[in-house]
Amino acid sequence: MTAMEIDTEKNIQRKHSTYQSLDKTFDIQNEIYRGQQYSQIYFARLHTMRTLLYSLVNHWKPHVPVCTVLGLEEGKECIIVGTLFKHMQLKPCVLDEYSKERSAVPLVKPHNFMHPDDHLVLEDESGRVKLGGTVLSPSTYVTGGVVALHGKETTAGDFLVLDVFEAGLAPQIEPQLKSREDKYVVFISGVSVGSSTSNPLQFQLLVDHITGHLGDEQEQGIAAEIVHVVFAGNSVEIPLGLLNGQNLASKDQSRVSEAVQVLDILLSQIAAGVSVDIMPGSNDPANFALPQQPLNRCLFPGSRTFNTFNSCTNPHCFELDGVRFLGTSGQNIDDLKKYSEARDELEFMERTLKWRHLAPTAPNTLGCYPFTDRDPFLIESCPHVYFVGNQDKYGTRILEGSEGQMVRLISIPKFCNTGLAVVLNLRNLECHTLSFGAQPSTLKTFNDA
Amino acid sequence: MATASSNIKGFYRQKKKESGIRKPTSTKSDKSSLLHAATLGSDFTPPSARVPHGSPDLKDDYDKNEDVLRQFDMNSAYGPCLGMSRLARWERAQRLGLNPPKEIEGLLKGKEVRSECLWDGCI
Repeated sequence: MTAMEIDTEKNIQRKHSTYQSLDKTFDIQNEIYRGQQYSQIYFARLHTMRTLLYSLVNHWKPHVPVCTVLGLEEGKECIIVGTLFKHMQLKPCVLDEYSKERSAVPLVKPHNFMHPDDHLVLEDESGRVKLGGTVLSPSTYVTGGVVALHGKETTAGDFLVLDVFEAGLAPQIEPQLKSREDKYVVFISGVSVGSSTSNPLQFQLLVDHITGHLGDEQEQGIAAEIVHVVFAGNSVEIPLGLLNGQNLASKDQSRVSEAVQVLDILLSQIAAGVSVDIMPGSNDPANFALPQQPLNRCLFPGSRTFNTFNSCTNPHCFELDGVRFLGTSGQNIDDLKKYSEARDELEFMERTLKWRHLAPTAPNTLGCYPFTDRDPFLIESCPHVYFVGNQDKYGTRILEGSEGQMVRLISIPKFCNTGLAVVLNLRNLECHTLSFGAQPSTLKTFNDA
Repeated sequence: MATASSNIKGFYRQKKKESGIRKPTSTKSDKSSLLHAATLGSDFTPPSARVPHGSPDLKDDYDKNEDVLRQFDMNSAYGPCLGMSRLARWERAQRLGLNPPKEIEGLLKGKEVRSECLWDGCI
């Protein structure tokens, strides 16, 4: 808690909440690469999910026998559990560069690789079977999800799907401390300090608002209720022209670090007053493959002196006053957008929660560390708040599970494009946005309900 | 480990192993039960697959323990073996509820056996 001094004698105390980081499973510091391939992580994923699904299908269709893919008999109805594979003809293949026929397939990627002829295949360690029928729509599913299917093998050798069963939302722990007062968490992503589209004044306004340097007593009172700030990725943007693998000239070296230095100054202003988490994103100076490791603390010589400053992994999981948060900087949802379709980002997020996997397309089309003993993206405990950063627009709703779970889904828009930050009330999980604009003649901040 | 043997069998450095086709049998004696447990659920493993080519196999005659461990490596029920130490793979199988035989853990923790799978260093 920090006292903020203002002109009068009265000090406004910032509210406090207990913070606990749950990022241990995303840490790869202790992992050793021994030449393993991705079959290991798929094996761990299939087995964990299959054990879970076997226990659940008893309640779903108790009288239908369960068998493996190899044990399928023609015409006999049964349930099979396996990993989905979606065969997509437009999916870019590294071998296309070397193909002898100069076909019309462009090497430049379109935004979405779906095609009407895409089909799904179910695979387990005994074999794979092509899925037919109209129940399972390939546009909804992606490679890497584990599901249970009820159906039968046809004469053609396909598996005709009659019904599909997903694991559904994981069990949720009740938050122990039901806070009776309003406490706010601020989410920002895509600040992109150093990019040509970002407005430094907008970010400074945000920092000033959070630290209570803006507005009158009432405004400061609102700011004092902010207990935590999360930067969900893409906080800097280093000029791409400098990152071409060539040695940097000395004048360019300072340009590379400029953006991070500015970010550090602003972060230290925030960290001085409130606990702040910073997650790496796709453009940040962190490793490429998920789970992205925390941004190195030597990038933040100013901020790291504060114990309120936390450099976190992506994905990031933490608990605040017993409320569990889980979120990413957007790569998982962006990859789903390329290989499947949904109404909006929130629907993609809902699917990942129902499949109990943060990033089902990893490692197929999303870079991922080759874990051997576990799949860290499996969601074992349903969060209360699930956020995704660097999206095109703001969106939020409550998702309800079959066992009374309630999740607040938040799609955080890119700050550099929209000037929007998202604020969540810990008491009732309600969300609103904070919009920052900088007009040449007037400076104003206003809250949008 | 070539055992010093004074009989005629010791004279020959290489011995032809029994056929690699092992069908799980219902009767269990102490050594075959170990192998049975290790091969449970696996498919045919040809004898040549159990001897890695490429690295100089200084021990032409590998011992019973190594044979049991190789059967464990080749058993697909416990997942891929490449890229993990045998003990890590056993522990993963344990954690995933696959009930790997306890004797394998005993071998890996106690005796002097190879900690890496049979393909390690060859692929």
